[in-house]
Amino acid sequence: MGVLDAPFPTRARAFPRRRENGEITAARHVDYGLIVLPVLLSLIGLVMIYSSTRLHHGTYYVERQAIAVVIGLVGMFIVMSIDYRKLREFWPLVYVAMLPLLVGVLVLGASRKGAQAWFQIGPLQFEPSEVSKIAVVIAIAGYCHQHRGDLDAWRLAIVVMLAAVPIGLVLLQNDLGSAFVIAVAAVAMLLVSGIRGRHMVVLLLLALSGVIAAVSSGYLAGYRLDRLTTFADNSTNITKNASPTAYNTDMALSAVASGGLTGQGLFHGTQTKLGYVPEQRTDFIFTVVGEELGFVGGAVVILLYALLVWRLFRISLLSSDFFGTLVCMGVLAIVAFQVFENIGMCMKIMPVTGIPLPFMSYGGSSVIATFLAIGLVTNVHMRRFS
Amino acid sequence: MTDNSRVRVSIVGVIVVALFGALVARLWFLEVGSGQTFEIRAEQRAVRVLQTESPRGRILDASGKPLVSNKVVWALTMNRNISPASRDAAFGRLAELLGGKNSPQSLQKRFFDPRQSPLRPAILVLNTPESARVAILEHREDFPGIDVHELTVRTYPQGQLAAQVLGYVGEVNGDELKKLHGYVIGDSIGRAGIEAAYEKVLRGKPRQDTYQVDPTGQPVGEPVKTVPGTVGNDVQLSINIDAQKVAEESLGEAIIKARQRQDKSVKDHYAQFQAPAGSVVALDVQTGGVVAMASFPTYNPANFTGGITQDAWKQLNDPNNHYPLSNRATQGLYAPGSTFKLVTSQASNTNGVRPWGQWITDPGFIIIGADKQKLTDANGEVPGPVDLSRALTVSSDVYFYGIGNDFWNIWNANDKNRGNGIQTTAREFGFGAKTGVELDESQGRVPDEQWKQSFAKLLYKNDKAKLLENSQWFPGDNVNLAVGQGDLVATPLQLADAYAAFANGGDLLHPHVAQTVTTAQGAIVERFGRKTVRHIAFDPGTYSAMMNGFLGAVNNPKGTAYDAFKGFPSLIPVAGKTGTAQVNGKGDTSLFAGFFPANNPKYVVAAVIEQAGFGSEVAAPVVRRVMEQLAGLQPGPLQINNTKTAD
Repeated sequence: MGVLDAPFPTRARAFPRRRENGEITAARHVDYGLIVLPVLLSLIGLVMIYSSTRLHHGTYYVERQAIAVVIGLVGMFIVMSIDYRKLREFWPLVYVAMLPLLVGVLVLGASRKGAQAWFQIGPLQFEPSEVSKIAVVIAIAGYCHQHRGDLDAWRLAIVVMLAAVPIGLVLLQNDLGSAFVIAVAAVAMLLVSGIRGRHMVVLLLLALSGVIAAVSSGYLAGYRLDRLTTFADNSTNITKNASPTAYNTDMALSAVASGGLTGQGLFHGTQTKLGYVPEQRTDFIFTVVGEELGFVGGAVVILLYALLVWRLFRISLLSSDFFGTLVCMGVLAIVAFQVFENIGMCMKIMPVTGIPLPFMSYGGSSVIATFLAIGLVTNVHMRRFS
Repeated sequence: MTDNSRVRVSIVGVIVVALFGALVARLWFLEVGSGQTFEIRAEQRAVRVLQTESPRGRILDASGKPLVSNKVVWALTMNRNISPASRDAAFGRLAELLGGKNSPQSLQKRFFDPRQSPLRPAILVLNTPESARVAILEHREDFPGIDVHELTVRTYPQGQLAAQVLGYVGEVNGDELKKLHGYVIGDSIGRAGIEAAYEKVLRGKPRQDTYQVDPTGQPVGEPVKTVPGTVGNDVQLSINIDAQKVAEESLGEAIIKARQRQDKSVKDHYAQFQAPAGSVVALDVQTGGVVAMASFPTYNPANFTGGITQDAWKQLNDPNNHYPLSNRATQGLYAPGSTFKLVTSQASNTNGVRPWGQWITDPGFIIIGADKQKLTDANGEVPGPVDLSRALTVSSDVYFYGIGNDFWNIWNANDKNRGNGIQTTAREFGFGAKTGVELDESQGRVPDEQWKQSFAKLLYKNDKAKLLENSQWFPGDNVNLAVGQGDLVATPLQLADAYAAFANGGDLLHPHVAQTVTTAQGAIVERFGRKTVRHIAFDPGTYSAMMNGFLGAVNNPKGTAYDAFKGFPSLIPVAGKTGTAQVNGKGDTSLFAGFFPANNPKYVVAAVIEQAGFGSEVAAPVVRRVMEQLAGLQPGPLQINNTKTAD
């Protein structure tokens, strides 16, 4: 962490020769695990999406998802090729560029299933909230890097604002899940940035009162509250009168539970085949794994995610600068929280929020954005010696 | 990185490890730990049993000719899971293709008919024309979700023949679904007649296919399990198609002819007989098997195939159409009139009221009771000297009025048992009780003091004077009973069964329409033979006097049915009794009950025709034609004439 002491990046890195050499060095230090694991998870995701959609839609969804994976990989290599440290200076640009997207989607976006979070571009949908997660990570990392060791209350307030603005915009899109993800990433990065204990307590109290205010003001009414509280209902009776969310989770739960040790066999999951689990190809993709591949398949998938998170963790420690550490921690928080929340919701230990399972859930924006995030972390790893 | 940072990063790491550990633990608990209960529940939800009816058994006549059988039709069906838009488009195209009465609206109505199972494709048209079938199969893309497949429905090779006996088939309704076991929406069920009585036998075992279903309950793919069904068993009746035809034709013709005759009992203006309805029953006197059973008016059971239209159902239940669905042979209740003298004759002799050999003089009238009521013979006849035989032959009412009066006097002298002799004998002959035939039947009524009292209690709850007056059993009541009038009512089947008991020497039989139940391959499963309800003991002298009386009624030129049977081969002696029952405010009921050959009786035939005049004029000629057919003769033309002989 030689550069830690420099308030700004050294100009030396702008020299072309050094840069060339640096790039060659960097290319030797790619963490292949960080590339192989997402590809592996994406491939498993493609098979699971095919299993849940083949009967009614053939290869339609698989093809679209495969294209997204390819775009994501290309995007990842592009991100890897550009020195991440440039972002230390330009993070405000990234952050500001993100805001019009989040505002625009509120005005121009397509509305679907109670959320207005998509841009409809011809046959494609683009979900800016997925990209905004990374933008917030970069912004907070950039700011905290600049003010490392000097995170007083005012600066903390600025960090909170950096997170709160996109959270607010995302909430206006009715995308509670993404708001959670951003908040968790922000908290994780603040923790690593050296936030003081009492500040943390104040922040948590503020968050708590925010939640109370949301519930009492009626924002969290109807299906939102229902989604958040359904998981707490421990009964295993499936009744027709249950709320739609309770129905979703019960269907998901019994699909996962019917897998047994080794599952019902690929493409042989009864409830998957018959379409019992709503939104299965997107938010509930893990139920296909659970039903068709059983405990073994589910555990392997969780293990792959754990390996991925371990790589992210390792890189955050190896990073040559604090900015890299923070970016890695932010990405780690995003990935780990999404995995835990998504799989947990499929198994009824977490509330239902529209959070995709990284790399596996159907949805191009999420896949591409996560690949970009991984590209950023690989970037940190590549340039740890330069 | 500083140590402080390392610690902080490590905290995040620990949290992540804990969360992932929780995921794996939960996964283990769900899938391996307690997975079994979840698994079973998921399995139950994902399958559904679809039941498909097997073809019903056939209904055959005594010689094995089918009266009800099955045919295969091309049913046009529409899948349940196609989108409303393409469904509406298909309705339009189908209406155009099928033409006729089919409109998009009518097809849509059929699609949403609650009588159709929501789990199967909806049947839109039962008899798809060949041209439409070909057009649909050739242009499948224009008819999404539409299919044409074979369906087995009821068919009636003999048309309307024996409609009320056979009954009809309808779709099982909500109440029945709750009560009955093994039926599902859309199943057919016997609604009346043999179809209803032998529902269990005819229905067969439905095929059961277990399908996997999607969350909306629609079956997906091929059945995962199939339990094959079995075709229903056939029911062979004792009905003889030819005799049944003659009975129905003759009955219908007689009724139409009766409607053209003048009803002379209407004195103040010219009126014709209404003759709305009637029935004929022919029984095998040795087995109790129903050989023919006709009821007029009748209906076409084929109208019920695939569900009857509301209009047609309304027609069948319109009073102006005289309820064609009811089987008057078993459900119609009539005063039997003079045909009841069978019972009075036996009662008189068993109770020693008037021996069969005793002659009395019938001056054409009799004075009865304290109020000196004068009762006359019908049509102003003056029969003169009569004994039992002659009284039956010429139908001397006065002879039987006297017996009725004598019984009343005995009853009034507190010899209740003997005094109720007519009622007791009537019950012995099966009157006032259901015969036990498989079809829906009425019980009838044999009136006595007890009945009158309870009936008066119902009528005059608050009027004590009227209650008292109408609770009494007057001589007139007993006198009316003696000639089959008053409050006595019986079904034509009861009447025929009583005459069968006389004809076979005293065995009151349990009449039955079904003879055997056989498998589709013809193996007999069950046989319904002669079943005696009770034996009626006849004194030989009385028996032969009565027999002579019944023979005389048909064969003696003075006999009431002589004209109706003139020319019937004397080698096949017919015995019988006419009846003309007066009905308040309506024309007389015309009755005749007879049997042949009298020396060795085989069949009894009874005809009852409402508001049609004398028994000798309308009912007897109908019976004659049925007897001719049963005797193997060519039935002659139906002769309905105004005869001089009364009753």
